[in-house]
Amino acid sequence: MKIRKTSLLFFLGPALFVVALFYIIPLFLSVYISFTPMVDWNVNRYLTQFIGLQNYERLFHIVMYDPDMRAVVITTVVFVLVTLVINVFGGLLLALATYFMDEKMSAAYQGLWLLPRMTPIAVYSLLWYYFFHSSGIGILNSILLKLHLIDHPIALGLDPKYLPWGAWFIIIFVNGLVGVSYGMIIFYSAFKSIPKELIIAARVDGASTTRIIRHILLPLTKWHFTFVMVWQMFSLLMTYAQTFLLVEWRVVDSTWGQTWALYVFRTAFTTTKDQGLAAAASTFLSIIGIVLGIIALKALGYEKMILEPKGDI
Amino acid sequence: MASKGWAIAAAIIIIIIIIGAAAYYMTQKPAPTTTTPTTASTTSTTSSTSSASPTTSAAPAKPVLTGNFEKDVIAIGKYLESKGIHTVKFTVWATGDPNSVMRMYGLYEAAYRINKIWEKNGINVKIVMSKFWESSFKKLYDEFLSAVPQGTNGDFFVNSYIYIANLASQGYILNINSYVEKYWNSVFKDFYPALMNAAKYKGQYYAVPQDTEARPIYVRKDVAACMGWDISNLAQLVKEGKFTWHDMFKKAEEAVSKGCAKWGLIHRKGSAHPDLMQFIFAYGGKLYDPKTGKLVFDVPAVYKWFATEYAFAQHKLLPKDMMSWDWAQQIHPTVVNDCKGSPTGCTLFFIGGTWHWTEWQTKAYYYDPHTHKRRPLTPEEEVKKFYYMLFPAGDPGDKPVTLSQPFMWMIAENAGKDNPDYNQLKDVYHELAFLMIVKASDPEINAIHSVISGHVPVRKAAAALLKNETWINDLINMKINLSPEVKKAIEPIVKRTASKINIEFLANVSYMLEYTHLAPSHPQYPKLAGYFADAINKVLMGSMTPKEAVNYMIQKIKADPDLSKAVEIVGSIPTNWTFP
Repeated sequence: MKIRKTSLLFFLGPALFVVALFYIIPLFLSVYISFTPMVDWNVNRYLTQFIGLQNYERLFHIVMYDPDMRAVVITTVVFVLVTLVINVFGGLLLALATYFMDEKMSAAYQGLWLLPRMTPIAVYSLLWYYFFHSSGIGILNSILLKLHLIDHPIALGLDPKYLPWGAWFIIIFVNGLVGVSYGMIIFYSAFKSIPKELIIAARVDGASTTRIIRHILLPLTKWHFTFVMVWQMFSLLMTYAQTFLLVEWRVVDSTWGQTWALYVFRTAFTTTKDQGLAAAASTFLSIIGIVLGIIALKALGYEKMILEPKGDI
Repeated sequence: MASKGWAIAAAIIIIIIIIGAAAYYMTQKPAPTTTTPTTASTTSTTSSTSSASPTTSAAPAKPVLTGNFEKDVIAIGKYLESKGIHTVKFTVWATGDPNSVMRMYGLYEAAYRINKIWEKNGINVKIVMSKFWESSFKKLYDEFLSAVPQGTNGDFFVNSYIYIANLASQGYILNINSYVEKYWNSVFKDFYPALMNAAKYKGQYYAVPQDTEARPIYVRKDVAACMGWDISNLAQLVKEGKFTWHDMFKKAEEAVSKGCAKWGLIHRKGSAHPDLMQFIFAYGGKLYDPKTGKLVFDVPAVYKWFATEYAFAQHKLLPKDMMSWDWAQQIHPTVVNDCKGSPTGCTLFFIGGTWHWTEWQTKAYYYDPHTHKRRPLTPEEEVKKFYYMLFPAGDPGDKPVTLSQPFMWMIAENAGKDNPDYNQLKDVYHELAFLMIVKASDPEINAIHSVISGHVPVRKAAAALLKNETWINDLINMKINLSPEVKKAIEPIVKRTASKINIEFLANVSYMLEYTHLAPSHPQYPKLAGYFADAINKVLMGSMTPKEAVNYMIQKIKADPDLSKAVEIVGSIPTNWTFP
């Protein structure tokens, strides 16, 4: 028993250390900062000052009275839901497509879809900045102008005629393109781990590709689906990098292109540099994330998945 | 189950260890002090250091600034040498247009000149400089804010004066009041008083002016000629308030309708501060009330500003997406390109700045229709192309304006941190940093910066140099005595910009400083300015009417408890006023 505990500590230790250092401690720190008046990163002055719930009261006041906050909440809901569907089901479709391709073709195709993820965020965002730019220098505008589909350049992410849909379209499209490859990799690996014999037997029995997908591939990758769904949901709730750059460069409207995570980031780093308030907003977001995560895991039967097997191994 | 319990226990232990280590580290880290450096405190430290040192009798006393530059430099050099310090490292963080490199190299030159003094006096100490340049002044400010607590900031921070209030209130920059007092008669008495006042926060000096500028409206002479409009007396009419923004609109409309220009007006992108704030002053409004110490949201003036830009954008005289235009690809080319045969078209008016005059001579913004390549303009071409004037009055009866945003040399509160024995010697490092700023403010260095970057000198002695033929010729021929490193760095810019035309330009725009306004130096001003940028973007895009945008701003101010305490909302939307 003693050896078992020692080896448990030995193997789990490094992982636990990393999780504690990079996930749990920042979470605690963030919650702690939300009870301080921290602004302008003045850690030395404000870290030990405790102001109770003042930041939460201010946040509540801002949510109630700031004319942009309603848009922030709606944008967050739309962004997370739509991008989640694209990321999960898009990833699933891509994985299925590549699973049935020959190996070389599949690797090349997957590599192509992984490009947005491999490209540095600033470069990737700059690409879309020029693509969606509201003037004639924008690639989309110049294509549409050349095809005579428009008379003058359109500001898809800014023009009130297209808001909020234009802004939402851009941020969902740009983030979706990055996120979809994650699901693709997980689902593809899951499909590959299914014994080939099952597929061959099904083929021999005359099962069509659709039936193989419905009755073999999807049921056997149910847990991967749960994982991708929950992981991507957390990820989308917290993501802001590409969206921030597009808003900052004014390709996307700052009101309708701003999610809650971006509001947290801008409050802490760019607009007001009010880290106490940003930490309160971030804590709120973490609570929402945890609640949604628990609901999703319950709904998708996570408990069943982690039950120890009943028989002897 | 038991293994689960063990895993949880292990996780808790690891977390406790990490938190404990973090807490220990934080308690060990000395909190930086924000005390004013005074002569008294340095003197008292002198005695304690002296008594502790085994070589008391031979070691020089801890230096105290006297106001005599050479004497102070030698005293500091000798003191550092006695402490075994032979290299002092400083880093400058600066920002600005591509020609404003003297914001960095001024300090390089200062270091070189101080090193020379030490060398001449047999002192074996040397200042070694490094630099960091960021083109956006706001980004540099953001980076500085987050870097100071980590100790990764530059020792010198060269940026707009509007950040002094916040940086000083957070204790991020050094209070140099006692130093400035020592050097008042020998140096700072010569600086323009308004600029020295802008370097203060709560009555204390936290910075030294580096440059200032005016923001002229540039008028394209070729477009005016195409319209058949005689602009020879326009600057005078603007000065007298006889040509207002209502007239600007009419002329812009005429230029576009006659096909002489694609746009009537072009201005900056991204932020409303500082250029667009001129509208508030031009419509007789204000941004700050010195009596209450509060920022002012002047509803009538802000409404008129929004309504003016709304009218321009709605009539397609100003691009709706102006705030997202690209400086190098769109804004500058549209301002400098010929109206026919260029890919961007041109504009009649541009709300610019004096520095643009030289920037257009060094950056390849101009599309040459003969070679089909982009190249900089020559000074002669600029004279042929551009007329300049004050920012006109909003309504008849209002006054023309310009806005200056003096740049400042600031010393980080932890300046010298990268050097040995920082905790014992920090007062000395601070004094040395200040002396470097004193040297970088030499009339010659300031005048060179003015000529090559199109900024206005901050002191009379530098302004006098711009009228000195011999000195001008020496600069044009690069016969000025500068360090080899600085000479090499600025030579290409000097070659393109050091011309009599440019010096004449500076002389011609200097009258504008009589009409200048300064944006408030208030800790909450950057936040308010950020909301102005969002609001004007919505107005230009047409997603809000001017009235809606004013109400949006009021809601934003009221929704933010800190801002609502700092801002006074005055006046109401004018009912019997229309634009154009």
